[in-house]
Amino acid sequence: MNTTATKSNLYYHDRVVTVLVAWSIVWSVLGMAVGLYVAAELVWPQLDFGYPWLSYGRLRPLHTNVVVFGFAVSALMATAFYSVQRTSHVPLFAPALAWFCCIAWQLAIVAGGLSLLAGINASKEYAELEWPFDIAITIVWVCFAIVFFGTIAKRKIQPIYVSNWFYGGLIIVIAMLHIVNSLAMPVTLTKSYSLFAGAPDAIVQWWYGHNAVGFLLTGGFLGMMYYFLPKQAGRPIWSYRLSIVAFWAFTYSYIWAGPHHLHFNAIPDWVQSLGMVMSLILLAPSWATMINGIMTVSGAHAKLKTDPALKFIVLSLAFYGLATFEGPMMAIKSVNIVSHFTDWTIGHVHSGALGWNAMITFGTFYFLVPKLAGRDLYSVKLANIHFWLALAGTMLYILAMWGAGVSQGLLWLSLDEIGELNFSFKDIMGSMAPYYGLRVVAGVLFLSGTLLLAFNLFKTLQGQKVVRVVPPPVAAMEAA
Amino acid sequence: MTYFIFIGDMLVMAFMVAVVVWVYWRTSDDVINRSARIPLDDESTDG
Repeated sequence: MNTTATKSNLYYHDRVVTVLVAWSIVWSVLGMAVGLYVAAELVWPQLDFGYPWLSYGRLRPLHTNVVVFGFAVSALMATAFYSVQRTSHVPLFAPALAWFCCIAWQLAIVAGGLSLLAGINASKEYAELEWPFDIAITIVWVCFAIVFFGTIAKRKIQPIYVSNWFYGGLIIVIAMLHIVNSLAMPVTLTKSYSLFAGAPDAIVQWWYGHNAVGFLLTGGFLGMMYYFLPKQAGRPIWSYRLSIVAFWAFTYSYIWAGPHHLHFNAIPDWVQSLGMVMSLILLAPSWATMINGIMTVSGAHAKLKTDPALKFIVLSLAFYGLATFEGPMMAIKSVNIVSHFTDWTIGHVHSGALGWNAMITFGTFYFLVPKLAGRDLYSVKLANIHFWLALAGTMLYILAMWGAGVSQGLLWLSLDEIGELNFSFKDIMGSMAPYYGLRVVAGVLFLSGTLLLAFNLFKTLQGQKVVRVVPPPVAAMEAA
Repeated sequence: MTYFIFIGDMLVMAFMVAVVVWVYWRTSDDVINRSARIPLDDESTDG
């Protein structure tokens, strides 16, 4: 009995990973479906049917919260739990706490989503959930940190692999951002007022907002990339030294870049310039990482042709390069004066969200789910169809929003000889219908691909046997 | 303020140069290669 118990303590805890992956897939379908619906509402506003809970103002934050906190964070938790055990050669520290994170996080997303539909909203972008949810998120996040860092603390090998640096950065920085940005005075159970007001509120909001993009949607997913890309390519990362340098450069420079969201606003000019300069510096670590990833695959071309998981991961790196070039360019004030408040920003966000975050997650899941299920992927053909649907959807989305955004920016800046606007806001928005229509088509393509992924992966998981995976022999013997 | 930003940028550069020097100077090829291979040799199946 004791021997069995001791041995079972050596197994990697993958059941919680499987459940988190399953929830992430569910949230990806729901979140993208809501995104498609709000995109359709911008073409056909009557689609709200007069119901407040179907209005754009309630569905848009639901879309962002479900895709970011449901789809992305569940995927990050799953992959962090999966990889930290393996790169530490020990099972998860406090597995019961890992299960608590998994279940409590999903409950928070369900309840939080319903609260947004009910119109309960803290009015802070990407932090719309009211104060009870902020406290719940903090508790789950602290438990996530305990499991993750506890596993690293009891590791059986000395080096801390680079993916864990990125996941660790994600956990620490998001905790700091969430707590500071959510500081508020509750007045009822469903209403609170931020402790910040005016320009300081805007600065704190975009310090949070931009670094949530930085450390969650970039840093966290880089952790995913640094573990799953070498794994899937069957080769170590091209330059491990470069990955370490890129981590520190990324961490040091990203945290300063938020004020580029507030160009030409009522904040000090030097803060705006600082945000712009640090955004430009970010190009270096971003492209270093992209080049490191692409070079890692350079010797695995044969596998790249046939393996849908690797295809998705490599494509995601291309979009990562695109988005991390475009971002610093948009932070330059003379470019920002055209792009700000236009759909160009929406296109930029989605080149990262669809092209980078979703694609790398899909690639990782196509690798991970068959391993967790202990069987081959249900259909490679469906995964390949998904690849082309996702690529077509992303490209069409970005091109439509670039067209819309650049048109809006240039038309809004167009003045007549006495300095008055040549075109009214209403006329310009009225001319956007073709672009918004194309976005709906892009959304249909991307969501169709995601539905294929969900079907394919749930069929792979169906009737799954228990796969017990243990650390490599030497480490296992040490632990015993 | 321009000087302030300039000095700040130079400090960022100095920090990054220090990181690069530290990574290349304080780590041996053996340690780097072993670290890079961690994901490739991290599990065995049992049952």
